[in-house]
Amino acid sequence: MDNEIKHLKFNFDVSAYRLLGRELITDRITALFELVKNSYDANAENVIVEFININPKSDKSKIIISDDGMGMSFEDIRDKWMVIGTSSKRKRFNSPPPYNRKVTGKKGVGRFAVDKLGAKLILKTKQQNSNQTIFLETDWSKYQALEAKQFQLNFDNQENKFFTEVENTYWFEESDTSNHGTVLEISLIADVWSKDDIERAYKELAKLVSPTQTLKYPFNIVIKSPYLEFENKRVESYIIQHYTLKVEIEFDKETEKQEIFKVEKGELVKQLTDKRICGLVKMTLYYFDPKAKEKFKSSFPGTIIDGVKIYRDGIITTPFAEYVAQQNLQKDLLSIDKRRYSGFFDKLSTRDLLGFIEITNENNPNIIEATNRQDFVDNKEWQELKLFFIEQLSQVEKYLKEAKNVHRENTKSEFSTAKSEVNSFKKDISEIKKNAPPEIQKTLEELEKKAAKVEATVNKGIKEFNELEKEKKQQENLFFSLISLQTYAATLSHITRNSIGHVLRFAEYFKKNFPNPSLQDRFKHIANTIYDELIRLRKGLDFMLKYAQSDSDAEDISMKELIENTFYNLYHSEFEKEKVKTLVEINKDLIIRYNRKSIEDIFDNLISNSLKALSGKEDKLIKCSGTVTNNEFILLFSDNGSGIKDEDKTRIFDVFFTRTAEQGGAGLGLFIVDTRMKAMKGTIEVIENELKPTGATFKLVFPFKK
Amino acid sequence: MINDISIIIIEDQTRYEEDALVWELKDRFEDVRFFTNPKEALDFIITNESLRMIVLLDIDFNRKAEGHQILEEIRKYSFQIPVILWSGIVEPKEPFSDFINNKTFGYINKHATFAEAFKIIDDAVNFLNESIDKAVEEWIIQHPKSQMDKPVYISSGKKSYTLNEILKEMRMQTEVGKDFSKRLTKLTIDLLMRNKENLND
Repeated sequence: MDNEIKHLKFNFDVSAYRLLGRELITDRITALFELVKNSYDANAENVIVEFININPKSDKSKIIISDDGMGMSFEDIRDKWMVIGTSSKRKRFNSPPPYNRKVTGKKGVGRFAVDKLGAKLILKTKQQNSNQTIFLETDWSKYQALEAKQFQLNFDNQENKFFTEVENTYWFEESDTSNHGTVLEISLIADVWSKDDIERAYKELAKLVSPTQTLKYPFNIVIKSPYLEFENKRVESYIIQHYTLKVEIEFDKETEKQEIFKVEKGELVKQLTDKRICGLVKMTLYYFDPKAKEKFKSSFPGTIIDGVKIYRDGIITTPFAEYVAQQNLQKDLLSIDKRRYSGFFDKLSTRDLLGFIEITNENNPNIIEATNRQDFVDNKEWQELKLFFIEQLSQVEKYLKEAKNVHRENTKSEFSTAKSEVNSFKKDISEIKKNAPPEIQKTLEELEKKAAKVEATVNKGIKEFNELEKEKKQQENLFFSLISLQTYAATLSHITRNSIGHVLRFAEYFKKNFPNPSLQDRFKHIANTIYDELIRLRKGLDFMLKYAQSDSDAEDISMKELIENTFYNLYHSEFEKEKVKTLVEINKDLIIRYNRKSIEDIFDNLISNSLKALSGKEDKLIKCSGTVTNNEFILLFSDNGSGIKDEDKTRIFDVFFTRTAEQGGAGLGLFIVDTRMKAMKGTIEVIENELKPTGATFKLVFPFKK
Repeated sequence: MINDISIIIIEDQTRYEEDALVWELKDRFEDVRFFTNPKEALDFIITNESLRMIVLLDIDFNRKAEGHQILEEIRKYSFQIPVILWSGIVEPKEPFSDFINNKTFGYINKHATFAEAFKIIDDAVNFLNESIDKAVEEWIIQHPKSQMDKPVYISSGKKSYTLNEILKEMRMQTEVGKDFSKRLTKLTIDLLMRNKENLND
């Protein structure tokens, strides 16, 4: 028996310790998760996570994580466990045969997770066929004390130790050769574990393995704790039920073709296309409508529908065991919710969706998890994967929207069928009544009365249906303007903050240096800039105020008069100053009933956009021509300015997007135009420039019903 | 007027070139350079190794968080230059871990006052003036070019290093670089304690 105690030192420095232990393992559930993943990588089939005396916390509190994996040799401990960012897992992608598991931990930070759970660790590990168990004891509190000391200036004669000098004791004990695995016994526990905490841990661990994947070798996790419900509970991934719609796409590895969703004639179909740069992916999406959500919630209490997760080779990558108490603080890596600012009602949110994107090391080697496990490295493959996902989601949304419309139309036509059936029923009765014997006249009269009642009910139903539809539309508009207002408020605060900083420092500089005669030019510059900044701020606030005032007051507006007034009166002096020629051609007038400010906004922003594009040009021209067709008013708005680059064409309507920051562009103008057009159920797009050689042309379509 | 430290500002919006903070820096430092093109800034930093500099770096370049890459490029060259983030990002939502990894010196918000900004800039100046590594680096750079490539130091791993190589190791804060400055400090203290040397010029 070799019970002699020896020492080992960790091979890392203070900043690495802080960074890895504290910054990367963001909470204790993540910590637990990391350690269980280590067991998976070590070919374990069973992991037991045992909580002992963890409520209340005492010196008897312990967390023990034991597995039946392959264990570590002394060399493994010395050269891998004790060294940060160990490369062993990075060099090989698979765990040893026959398991060949895709190794999940590649950063070598998992072991520092222990520190988040408790200050003291006894590691026991044994390899198969070895007759020795190795024990290693680490007391993290020693490191913490050192860390505290290193951040203070030390004037006494005390010796200053480095992290790498702290000694960790180890010893060997003899044991029988049959069993193998690693046990992490953590004591000096950091926090109390309530039943709630254990439940959280259970739920997060349940997400470790993708529910759509069947593993060749089992990986069982068992939680043991003092709580009855979790006394000895096997962690099982929940079965997804009660969804409204389930859709899947796959790929063909041989031909390197990827399946995508496509809506065709109201049906959601799959098509094969070329592989994208993100690599081949599998995807499963479950959509829950409000009713389904209720059902889901009551079947799995405490479980939330929380969006789409990405699994690599069957094991979760992200959101990585991220527990967020408030769902709206949860990260939206795939940008599902960000899109909802543009088109609220037809877009799905993370709360309507459960989904799994399956990637593999083999197919998607360039999609790389960030070190903090909460995001991916922002490269073109990841960008493409996000794009690909959103494209697929949009098709699903399109399908759901069309299905909803069909359903609504069906309801409407069912109502009118009912109405005409009741009518013919009434007619039939009155026909029968004419020749009917007196003894059944009374019954027929009763029937007639009942039919009249049914008719009234059907009529009322139709009326209410129409009213509800109208009301819903009004609500949609209201929500819509509120949401764009929210986005706008965020932008305005950002601009305001920067502007205030600018002005504030100018004031500071002025106060400090005035009236130094050598700085006269700067003082002038200060006055000018403060003026410009305040004008910018006023513009922003004006728009905000317009929003605040824009009640739903609709009025009859002559489009011809409104456009001509904008060009010939409102902007007349500005055009003259900038030497801009204008050409306005509206073939027919159109009167629409709408909110005047909203429409003025559109032209305000288009013109100011053109003025920026025209600055520095000669022979400046803005052209606006309108044609009224059967049920559309089409307007082409063009200038011969600097034009829009091809790569920008899809982004120019995004909020914040600007290429004219130098001229005070805040990336709001075209966003506002787009918002306003959508609110009117109209469209705006960039088409080929009608004025040559350079310039831009926007096509605006206002729909109307005659 | 501080004339031995250069201020390098990397910011794509030209309007900040006439910001009062930049003026104030120009009033306090002789050499203040404003770069709108990050590549030019990097070239300048790398080709002017004898300059002591502080970098003010914006994060958002034309709505792309390019600041991350720029910092990474600077760190490929040296960990000894204090880099201060100067940004208007509303909330630090983006992954800041690489900023920690790449050791940013501090963060100045775009709406900061002079007092708030100079609290960090002054710290950076002190860092440059007081850091032992920086002093050693300056001492090395003073040598004529011919001496820079002669082996002068043998590490504990028994590999020999020229002054130029030591300079590189120190800038990258490698084990060898850190070890060298640790040994040098120990030696200096030892000599001082035994009255073999004194600190006066």
